[in-house]
Amino acid sequence: MESLYLLIPIALVFCVIAIRLLLWAIDNGQYDDLDKESWRILDDDDSGREKDHKTHRDEDNGPST
Amino acid sequence: MTDANASKVCFHCGDPLLAGSDFRIVIGHELRDMCCPGCRAVAQLIADSGMARFYAQRTEYNLRPDSTLDDVSTEAQFQLYDDPALAATFSEDDGDGLTRVRLLLGGMTCAACTWLIEQSVTQLFGVKSAVVNLSQSRLDVVLDRERLPLSRLFARVAALGYSVKPFHANAQREQMRREYRSDLRRLAVAGLGMMQVGMFAVALHAGELQGIAREYEQLLRVVSLGVTAFIVMFSARPFFSSAWRHLRHGALVMDLPVALAIGLAFTASAYATATGTGQVYFDSVVMFTFLLLLARFAEKRARLAGSLDWFDAESALPDAVLMRCGDDWQRQARQLLERGDRVLVRAGDTVPIDGVVGSGESAVREDAFSGESLPRSVSRGDTVFAGTVNTDAALDITASGSYGDTRLAALQRSIETASAEKPPIAQTADRIAGWFIGGILLATGATAWVWYSIAPERALWTALSVLVISCPCALALATPAALSNAANALRRSGVLVRGEGALESVARVTHVLFDKTGTLTHGELAIGRVLCLDGTSRTDVLALAAALQRYANHPIARAFADIAPAGGVSGVRFDVGRGVSGIWRGHTCRIGSEEYCRQIAPSLPTQPDGAGYWVAVTLRGQPLAWIALEDALRDEASALTAELKSRGTRLELVTGDHSRQAAVMGNKLGFDAIRVGMSPQDKSAHVAALQKQGATVLMVGDGLNDAPVLRRANTSIAVAGATDLARTQADFVIMDGDLHRVTRIIDKALQCRRTLYQNLAWALGYNVVGIPLAALGYIPPWAAAIGMSLSSLLVVANSLRLARPLRRT
Repeated sequence: MESLYLLIPIALVFCVIAIRLLLWAIDNGQYDDLDKESWRILDDDDSGREKDHKTHRDEDNGPST
Repeated sequence: MTDANASKVCFHCGDPLLAGSDFRIVIGHELRDMCCPGCRAVAQLIADSGMARFYAQRTEYNLRPDSTLDDVSTEAQFQLYDDPALAATFSEDDGDGLTRVRLLLGGMTCAACTWLIEQSVTQLFGVKSAVVNLSQSRLDVVLDRERLPLSRLFARVAALGYSVKPFHANAQREQMRREYRSDLRRLAVAGLGMMQVGMFAVALHAGELQGIAREYEQLLRVVSLGVTAFIVMFSARPFFSSAWRHLRHGALVMDLPVALAIGLAFTASAYATATGTGQVYFDSVVMFTFLLLLARFAEKRARLAGSLDWFDAESALPDAVLMRCGDDWQRQARQLLERGDRVLVRAGDTVPIDGVVGSGESAVREDAFSGESLPRSVSRGDTVFAGTVNTDAALDITASGSYGDTRLAALQRSIETASAEKPPIAQTADRIAGWFIGGILLATGATAWVWYSIAPERALWTALSVLVISCPCALALATPAALSNAANALRRSGVLVRGEGALESVARVTHVLFDKTGTLTHGELAIGRVLCLDGTSRTDVLALAAALQRYANHPIARAFADIAPAGGVSGVRFDVGRGVSGIWRGHTCRIGSEEYCRQIAPSLPTQPDGAGYWVAVTLRGQPLAWIALEDALRDEASALTAELKSRGTRLELVTGDHSRQAAVMGNKLGFDAIRVGMSPQDKSAHVAALQKQGATVLMVGDGLNDAPVLRRANTSIAVAGATDLARTQADFVIMDGDLHRVTRIIDKALQCRRTLYQNLAWALGYNVVGIPLAALGYIPPWAAAIGMSLSSLLVVANSLRLARPLRRT
């Protein structure tokens, strides 16, 4: 049971990391619009053909940076 | 969107196709019909940039784009935003040569629009990133201004068929954003902390049953203490600060027992940890904190959904104006206008500033101020007001002051006054809470005192049991849970709920006040009776009238928009304020006022007696017909008023219109009182007078002129098509314009109040039984904690019954 003295601090470290990550994401505005994000996840598995089309357009317009 | 539908309505905007129009393009390998060049241009752009998939993804039709825009004029129109001084008001440089721009979008109908706009803007050369915030209708773009002038960014969004304006930050909006983020931070920390402390608590409880070495029990307690201390300080802080703030003003609020329960349970557990005695309740402390924060967050989010708080009266005005500089008209930012500046307002534009007409003859629609749907003719020397729409011809006006001096700004100020004077909402739970909390504190204190004299070592724990079992968790959750679930149910049936505690006021409504134009009526002129003279057919007359009115910008012309026009009409001329003339098959024809038509057809009979606005149609000296145009009543209006009357509410009609028609309509619908010719200030004053007599007033309205009274009334409903300003002031917004929703809102509010009373009755009843038992020492703190959680769950479950959508009647 001595392992608790090691495992509990490790768990706390992970917890602190998780909290820091979450706070960073909130301050970064990633949770500002919960309505849109719930929809966006359904969108990204798009069909190959149109994706090709899209990439093609990007090249037409030059580098986007 | 099936093919059968697609053949009858515009593929882009869903409007019905006009007979004879032919605007088709290929989208996704299929030929699609469009209703107008505007829709076709937008759809073409979407298809050409490889985003045709948007049409499969969207769940609503798009709004019909403004067809007056074409590529050249749109870029020119937005050119003024390239001016660094003006650009600085809505953008900021982030140091690396990149600029962050914030735009306010209009016309987004569903989430797929966000995808379309983001994809399309990202494709522009020079754009680093583009993110749309749907709930705020905001577009954030990071771009390189060297490569992409702002005017081109505006033009691109406009070309997609959305309206676009600079997004100006205001203090209230920033405050809302900060609050939202800090609420979310507290909630996130409490949630993660709850998992940690819960894990240790499981180990401790298992240890109690199976036996645990003293050393490890103490370790787990100390770690729990540390995590809990952090959560109490970080997440539960608002409870403490609010309780203290109110206590200093002598008010007992729900946050006080919450703060006391958290504080005492934490202190007692910390004491038990330090001395190695008794019980610890760290898990209860964090769970309580988390659940309360969650309930409040959910309730706040439901309340802010669809909120448009950032619209003000000023945003109805154009940003760019044509101003006289020397001998030339130049595009200028509207904000720079001052007294004496000359401004050119073209036909169809919104008047940007109060001023006096210098030259030009036209008519202005003032329905925003007066509710009157017909325009007022103006000529040299007349005064026009900011926010009205110039319908017929260009006007050259001289500004009589800057924005702050306009009638529109005065209206905005009267809204602010109205909101300051609005009677406060007395919330049932808060009213009960004061007494309840006082009772709890007395009971806890008495228990502690009695037990201290009997068995001092049990005094703290018994008192804590009393406090935990009487913990107002259920009571605190009762109101927000019921309100947010009712609000969600209403939202699903097409009603946005905005106002704080609005549902509670609706349940107590005694007077319902209606605006006329746009609320009980459609707010647009439609063809009513057609009196054919001289044996002409109704179809022919209407076709000729439609051909003459086809290119007019007047509200009357819109009534004819759905009728297929007769071919071969040429030489169409508009005579401002009188009518339209043209040549058909070699003969002069006219449509317009009695006097105007009699000039070519002296035999025209006098205007028939009857409700509505009459226009005559004549052809080469022959009177053809009299056509009545009227603002038709909504179909469901009479059913609604009958229903409301049968419930015993008093109905009043308050309208800016002073025509005879308003009174006739009011009598027909069975209103108890009819007040015509009311200015926005009159309406507000009337509501205030009713409130003084003890009435609870529900106002239903739609226009700019209703905004102050919507805010002043105890609770208010804006109907679909309401101006943005009216929407922001109303507690409820009916999205689809079905007036039956008014009774549904009232039904839901009554149901919500019943649920609220059940919740409160349960929470109080549970305490009445629990507190004496706990005070006698029969309930250990852990059982009290379980009882409290179950009690809260029951309240939440009861409230969930409200979330079922309204039954169709």
